Amino acid sequence: MSARLADGVGTERAHHFETVAQQRYAATLGIWAWLITELLLFAALFLVALIVRIQHPEATQEAARHLKFWIGAVNTVVLIVSSLTMSMAIEFSRLGWQRAMVRAMLATAALGSLFLVLKGYEYYADYTEHMMPFLGSRPYELAASPASRLFVNLYYVATLLHGLHLLTGISLLLGMTWMASKAGFLSRHQNWIEIYGLYWHFIDLIWIMAFPILYVVNR
Amino acid sequence: MSASGTVDSGLANREPHAPEATLDRPADYLHAESTLRSWFLTTDHKRIAILYLASITAFFIVGAVAAGVVRLALVVPNGAVMTNDTYNKAFTIHGVVMVWFFLIPSIPATFGNFLIPLMIGAKDLAFPKLNLTSWYVFMTGALFTMVSVVLGGIDTGWTFYAPLSTAFSNGWVLPALIGVTIVGFSSILTGLNFVVTIHTMRATGMTWFKLPIFVWTHYATSLIFLLATPVITTALILLIMERAFHIGVFDPAFGGDPVLFQHLFWFYSHPAVYIMVLPGMGVISEIVPAFAQKKLFGYRFVAYAAIGLASVTFFVWGHHMFINGQSDLASLAFSALSFAVAVPSAVKVYNWTATIHKGKLRLDTPMLYAMGYIGLFVLGGLTGLYLATLAINQHIHATYFVVAHFHYIMVGGTVLAFLGGLHFWWPKFTGRMYNEAWGRISALLIFLGFNVTFFPQFILGYLGMPRRYATYPPEFQLLNVLSSAGATILAAGYIFPMLYLVYSLWFGKKAPANPWDAKGLEWETASPPPTLNFTSPPVVPRVPYDYPIQEQETKAQHR
Ligand code: HEM
Ligand SMILES: [Cu+2]
Repeated sequence: MSARLADGVGTERAHHFETVAQQRYAATLGIWAWLITELLLFAALFLVALIVRIQHPEATQEAARHLKFWIGAVNTVVLIVSSLTMSMAIEFSRLGWQRAMVRAMLATAALGSLFLVLKGYEYYADYTEHMMPFLGSRPYELAASPASRLFVNLYYVATLLHGLHLLTGISLLLGMTWMASKAGFLSRHQNWIEIYGLYWHFIDLIWIMAFPILYVVNR
Repeated sequence: MSASGTVDSGLANREPHAPEATLDRPADYLHAESTLRSWFLTTDHKRIAILYLASITAFFIVGAVAAGVVRLALVVPNGAVMTNDTYNKAFTIHGVVMVWFFLIPSIPATFGNFLIPLMIGAKDLAFPKLNLTSWYVFMTGALFTMVSVVLGGIDTGWTFYAPLSTAFSNGWVLPALIGVTIVGFSSILTGLNFVVTIHTMRATGMTWFKLPIFVWTHYATSLIFLLATPVITTALILLIMERAFHIGVFDPAFGGDPVLFQHLFWFYSHPAVYIMVLPGMGVISEIVPAFAQKKLFGYRFVAYAAIGLASVTFFVWGHHMFINGQSDLASLAFSALSFAVAVPSAVKVYNWTATIHKGKLRLDTPMLYAMGYIGLFVLGGLTGLYLATLAINQHIHATYFVVAHFHYIMVGGTVLAFLGGLHFWWPKFTGRMYNEAWGRISALLIFLGFNVTFFPQFILGYLGMPRRYATYPPEFQLLNVLSSAGATILAAGYIFPMLYLVYSLWFGKKAPANPWDAKGLEWETASPPPTLNFTSPPVVPRVPYDYPIQEQETKAQHR
């Protein structure tokens, strides 16, 4: 990763590194290592979902037909577009176009929030359709099929965990946008944008896996 | 250099905020600043290591007290000393605290943190703030678990098997589970920091095959931290959801499967036993050459063995589930693979003994611990093979044989390596020497006490005494009393070092930079090291373990 940077754009060396190149290498390796652990976290969850699907195919399909396919699909598009705006922010940061970068970052945060709003609406619809089996006090639509609860509950665990990552991502992004709007940011911390971008793409990637595994293959 | 250096050029070259150096004590990392804030907000890897050292020592004491309660209960066969409930809580607290809050962070978070940058010639770990964060994450997780202990404890055992932990246990399971989940993140952050540091921060000339084995084993450990911990996090999240909301994954009534939890649990926890043991192997690989004044035998093989262990260890988890309804084919494969794990372990043992052979041996305290380690690790490892044998496992699974097996490795191995390393690097950490006579006495006491405590448990297990019961048939009493008596000797052996080491902090002799004539960059700098580790860039030696005795070995190899 050695993208060309415009004049006046760069990274300030921290005291314990010898060179800026070393520092950037460490940051890149660090974020990739972190993303691998995150991937394993979700992989274990998806594995459990697949095991449930293999052991109880009918119940899983019945439950999956209650998921809101179109909301999921729209959300997939929303996140992919947000990855595009994030990539634009990274490119602008390299060029030193600070205002454009800040706008692209705000757009990314807005799209992420849109995802959460749609997801929240989806949960609300699930609630009204009695598709929240973990709520002990509320009747469950598919009570006749106990194994379906299992799939639905896993759907909540997986999407909530993803939502939590997205929420963290949006908060970090807004905090960083605020700092990035100050003068001189790009000459000192351009690398932050690159590193953060990888995390954002990762959140997107997890959804791109979750959507088929939960919504599509079981239809 | 700027041209302004006139009269006071000496002053101008000094770092603006570095404190004035005094003749008696040049500013080292311990004395650079002394406010509480400078400790709790430090990003110096050495200070963070000390924070970890203090915290895990506290947990060791908690865990040891719980162990004492267990051994007290087992002095009589009829369970008259305490209620069964208390007994169950005692062994659970013991296991949870010792595994999750002592053994897993023990060597990496303390010695690894302190020494890896020194050994590779760096100023700090790659991410100093993340390093501090990991300690706060650790303490947060610990807080949750301690809350559960204080509120009344839990009785699930350290393995948290469903459905006991999800449906039947009445204790404060949730806070404990949340605590253990959180602690996992501190392991991940530590592992990540080490991997990146070892890749990117090595001094010029420090190539991979000049790294001390200590660094290699920590690299292997860090890979396990990164690749196994997330899976236990997911397993624990599902367990928390199951207990809190009955989501059904581990409950057969909803089509779930409790054995699935065991798979996820052991997929992490078998590799985790190598998280506990690999760093200790690294410590022994430093101590043995130093006290034999001889190059480590077969350096490359020891390094490969570390990576070999870290890889094979991911494929043997099923040996914990031989009699839990696993298919015969799976059991066969897991059994064979478990035998394979023994190979790299044995490589290391052979290399240490070959290093001792014809060395100029000095039996100082660290070396006594190292020798104890080698012997006990062999016994622990070999009994692992018994357990991995399908037919024998039927007989000794879930008996005291298993308890003895893993204590030989985790206490006989890791704890001895921890104490050996603590004595070896104590002069480096603190700048003080401890009392050698007391050191040797304690090392011998621990070895003796350990064997008296745990050897009888092999026999008990072989005779069929199951683990985790508060009562047992009267004919087992003699061996149990012996075991409890050994535990008191062991306790004395642990208390002495705590006293004389702390004493040495104020009254010990000042330590020279390299009290043992040991090789390695950490001995090139002052004891204790300055905040940025080296005053001038360290010179990497030609070969690792550049000890006086080298030639014979190479000759012998060619013969
Ligand atoms: C030489 C390699 C090893 C082999 C072949 C081996 C084999 C085994 C087997 C087959 C069991 C299951 C016994 C049963 O429950 O029936 C077991 C249990 C155990 N081993 Fe090992 N082991 C080895 C090394 C280690 C190491 C290095 C550690 C720790 C640092 C360790 C810690 C444990 C623990 C904690 C348990 C018991 C877990 C529990 O049920 O609470 N083992 N070992
Ligand atoms: Cu195992």
